[in-house]
Order: sequence, then C-alpha cells, then structure tokens
Amino acid sequence: MASGLMGANSNGVSGSHANPEKLIIDTDPGIDDSMAILMAFQTPEVEILGLTTTFGNVSTEGATRNSLLLCEIAGCQNVPVAEGNPEPLKGGIPRVADFVHGSDGLGNMSLPPPKAKKIDKSASEFLVEKISEYPGEVSILALGPLTNIALAIKRDSSFANKVKKVVILGGSFFALGNVNPAAEANIYGDPEAADVVFTSGANIVVVGLNVTTQVILADADLLQLKNSEGKHAQLLSDMCQFYRDWHVKSDGVYGIFLHDPVSFVALVRPDLFTYRKGVVRVETQGLCVGHTLMDQGLKKWNSSNPWTGFSPVSVAWTVDVDGVIKFIKETLMKP
Amino acid sequence: MASEPKMIIIDTDPGIDDAMAIFLALRSPEVEVIGLTTIYGNVYTTLATRNALHLLEVAGRTDIPVAEGSHVTLTKGTKLRIADFVHGADGLGNQNFPPPKGKQIEESAVDFLIRQAKNNPGKVTVVALGPLTNIALAIQQDPDFSKNIGQIVLLGGAFAVNGNVNPASEANIFGDPDAADVVFTSGADIVAIGINVTHQVVLTASDREKLANSKGKFAQYLTKILGVYFSYHLEAYDNTGVYLHDPTTILAAVDPSLLTYIEGSVRVQTSGITRGLTILYNKQKRFGEVTEWSDKPSVKVAVTVDAPAVVKLVMDRLMDS
Repeated sequence: MASGLMGANSNGVSGSHANPEKLIIDTDPGIDDSMAILMAFQTPEVEILGLTTTFGNVSTEGATRNSLLLCEIAGCQNVPVAEGNPEPLKGGIPRVADFVHGSDGLGNMSLPPPKAKKIDKSASEFLVEKISEYPGEVSILALGPLTNIALAIKRDSSFANKVKKVVILGGSFFALGNVNPAAEANIYGDPEAADVVFTSGANIVVVGLNVTTQVILADADLLQLKNSEGKHAQLLSDMCQFYRDWHVKSDGVYGIFLHDPVSFVALVRPDLFTYRKGVVRVETQGLCVGHTLMDQGLKKWNSSNPWTGFSPVSVAWTVDVDGVIKFIKETLMKP
Repeated sequence: MASEPKMIIIDTDPGIDDAMAIFLALRSPEVEVIGLTTIYGNVYTTLATRNALHLLEVAGRTDIPVAEGSHVTLTKGTKLRIADFVHGADGLGNQNFPPPKGKQIEESAVDFLIRQAKNNPGKVTVVALGPLTNIALAIQQDPDFSKNIGQIVLLGGAFAVNGNVNPASEANIFGDPDAADVVFTSGADIVAIGINVTHQVVLTASDREKLANSKGKFAQYLTKILGVYFSYHLEAYDNTGVYLHDPTTILAAVDPSLLTYIEGSVRVQTSGITRGLTILYNKQKRFGEVTEWSDKPSVKVAVTVDAPAVVKLVMDRLMDS
C-alpha cells in the first residue's frame, strides 16, 4: 500500500488519500459483508460514494437497516444508503440465508436500530446518477445478487461503458456451488440479473467460490482479531460466532470463509490474484439454475453457441492466500 | 489370464476413435466382446450399424452380433447432432468402404442389452461410447436392468472443465441429456470417463507414424481413416495429436487401475443454455437445503489417468494384430 491506513474523516467519506478510488458497495449485510464494508471505511485508497442494498443474506429492507448501522459504526453516517429492489428480476420472494448469517443478518447480535435514514432514490437510480456524474471513475463492489446492477444497466444503456470496474463476488468456476452443487448463492439469488451483468460489456472482475473458499480465517486468527486493538475487532468477532458455527456444520471448516473481504481485496489489491479472461454466461433454468459457466477459449467452436459474441470478463483464477489474509488482518486489526 | 474374461457389450456410434476402441477390445484378452449395439452420435444410427458390421468384418469377427439401437432420443427428438466434421461423412474418415455383407440381428439393441444382462446377472459390462439412449431405455423397460448389469463404463461428460460441443457440454451427453440423467441416477454400478480425463490421452503424429510403419492389420486400417480426425484436432484445438476418448474408455473396462476415481452423485442439465452440463457432487459439503443431488446414488467419475500407459497399451495392441 502507498500509505498507512487512516480513519474516516468528518464529512462521512473515508477517502483522504491523494487520489482515492470512487466506490459504491452493493451489499446484503451479512456478516462477511460487514467485514468488507468496515474494511473499506478503513482504507484511505477508496472513497465510498454510497452503499446500495440488496436481498440475499437478509431481506433488502434488513440490508438497508444493516447498511445504515454499519455506516454509523464506522462513523460515516453521512454516506448515503440507497435501498435496492426487494426481489429478483423475475419477481417472487427471494431466498434469504438466515441460517448462515442469523435472522438479523448480523449474527443475531440485537443491535439497536440506526438513527439515519436511507435516501429517497432507489439503488439503481443512485448507481446511474453517480456513474454518470463521474464517468469512468466509479467502481462498484457487488457483494450480493446482481439485481440492482442489472436494473442500472437496463435503465441507462451507457452505464456499462461508464462504470470504471465492477468487482463481483459471485459464481463458482469449475467448482462446487454453496446453495447446491451447481450454484453459488449470489448468482442463484438472481440468475437473470447475473446474466445481464456478465454479458453487458462492462469491465468486470468476478471472484467466485473457487477462489474465496481458499481464504480461511481460522479459529486462531479469529482469536487474534478478538484480542486485537482493531477499531471494530470486538464487534466483528462477536458477529462471527454464528457464521463460524455454520462453517463447522456445512464444510467442516474451523474458521470462516472470507468471501466479501476477499472480493474487496481484489478491488484494492488486484495484484494478489491472477485472472483468466473468458465469456461468462449464467444458466437461468432447470436443475443447474444459477450455474456460472465460462468459456476458457481452449477450443475453436465450429458453430455459434450461447457464449459466442459476448465480451470476455476477468475471472479470478488463483489467489495469494497468505498475502490476502495478511492484508485483511492488518486492516481489521488497525486501531 | 487366470480368470475368465469379462463379458462386454460395446454401445457405439463408429466413429474413428470408436473403430480404434472396438479393435482394441478385440485384441484385449481381459475382455470378451459379446455384442455391439449401435447408436447415433458421430453418425446416424443406420450408418453406425453399417460401420459396426463393417469393422467386425475387417476384424474377421462376424461371429459377434450387432443389434441396432434407437434412432431418436429418449424424448423422441430427431434433430440429432451428427459430428461428420469430426469423423467424416461416413464416420470412418471418408474412405468409401464397400457395404458390409452381414446384417444386424433382429433383436433391438435395448432388448439385446436387457436379455444379456438377465441371462448373465452381474457379469456383463456395457461400455457406452455414444449418447446413452439405449441404456436409458433398457433401464426404463426393465426395472431389474440396473441390478442385472455388472457395470456401465461410459464415455461422457466434462467434469469441472469446458465441454466439446459448446463451453457447457460434452458431445455424448449433449446427444441425449435426458437419457444421461436417467443412467446416472439409476443406481447401476457406473464409471464415467469424461473429457477432463480423455483430453490427457493424446495419440501424437509420431505415434501415428509408428502405427503406419507397423505390420499390424488394425494399425494399417486405422492409419487410413485417421486423417480426418487429425485435421479436425488441428483445426479445433490447434493440437497436432488426437484425443483417445473411446480407447481410454475401453481400457477403463479392461484395467480399471489405469485411472483413479472419485465417488458422488452426477446430475445432467436437460434444458437451457447449459443443456448437457454434468455436475458431480462428491457428498462432502453439507448444504443448507435439500438439493437435486442429495438422495441420488453414487457413481464413480474418473479424475486422473496414467496417460503414457494407456497410449502404450493402445499402440502395442493395435500394432500386434
């Protein structure tokens, strides 16, 4: 990193770096979302323009409440929170992973309600407005289902060209899903939206389970965090209890996967990963609904297929596990 | 061999690498080929039957019966994808071979499979080299088939890699995804050899030369028909060698120890853009909810192969013929 990490400043944005990267986080907090968001607020290289909310780990309404709360906890209550769509593109009640994150999405911590309110604009309106205000300058970190991003793409045909970069936590490339063997939760949450985003032509980096499940914060690391002077260490380690117990049950992992924090690291430290480029499509029907499939370009197809003619995206392929863990621990343990 | 040879039925759509696989089986003392059943895929079913009869005549093994299989998919689909750009319009490298003298037996492939399994319970291995329509029909028509059949060794699927028809799907599974899902979930003893494994087994241009320079009858025949197959691999994969899909699968039946396997349930996507996608669940991770894989029987899926040993065995047996 070019400079040391700095705390949030008084006007509600964390960016006090010379030329911070403008960022909007689309999120469904979520325990690992909370870690990523609090990390972002502690990182001077990024300037958070706002949070937009989506369903997934909680309902969209719950995600808005938790986002407002996280801004307050970070001392950045002036950062706007725009509420997103309550349901996927095709409609219907979304699947909510309360068995992973607790019924409040934050590990059943019984936190007080936030004082601040969401802004009047919808998430997709806010996204379009900010991306148009700073064309080519704003990145999006998408930590939940991609409904809001897809709606922004549909709302403004120049959105995909104007957004600087979209870093997506989603999918599982040539590896097992986490909702079922075929699908990862964020993509499964809105497969139609995901397919719109992946085929939009935007500059996309996608970080899937094949990468994030390599990055584990083990019990010993969690203890270290708990005993640290980190600004939000206590809160996060308390939150992580529920999440950690789920990992033991589902994966036999004594610790937690750092899905969202890893995706944030892919935004600020892309050098800690390698990538492969290829067209990605999402299955929207049948038993593999939500499956992400990348054409690796190893074969010259003799006729056109559903992958033909779309722009390739960058798929995170390998990760410097020690480097990412080190970065995450340093950020979270910074007083 | 101390023990009796394993009885095998080859379900096939010849096909250049099918021809190689059939010859290889006939040169393998570990197995006894008790019949060929035919299916569409590389060619239409009628041509598959003709080619199967032709290959047995070339081998001097007209004692082996050929039973013709289904002309349509399990869902009665007739828009079949025929891979003439891989194997030539005749399936055998555009060589204008004369028509065979023999004929297929009266019994259909499905009836033949059911009868052989019933008469030799637990003893017959089916080596399936094309779309799985015949096998699925046998499973549907005889509730005991999946118990009676000893093992089904199939060439199909792309496990955690891109397909070869499109990025999602391998050709045999793509040919009849519904049939494949029936077979994978039938409870039979199944070994699946996908292109994740067969793409590691390459016959090089110099291997081809060795075949050509040998005195082996089968080697000589194959040298003639391999041209189209080599051209296709150069064009599609920029590879100067060819993949030995079907021969590898035959050798998995001959000597299972040439490969390693993992166990789990396999489901096949039957609709959408990833139609024909094969997804293996190794039953390690526990999901929050019941999934379409949860209660399905386990099959074996090949994950590694001793490629040099496979190529050597293929070469040795084809040159010594």
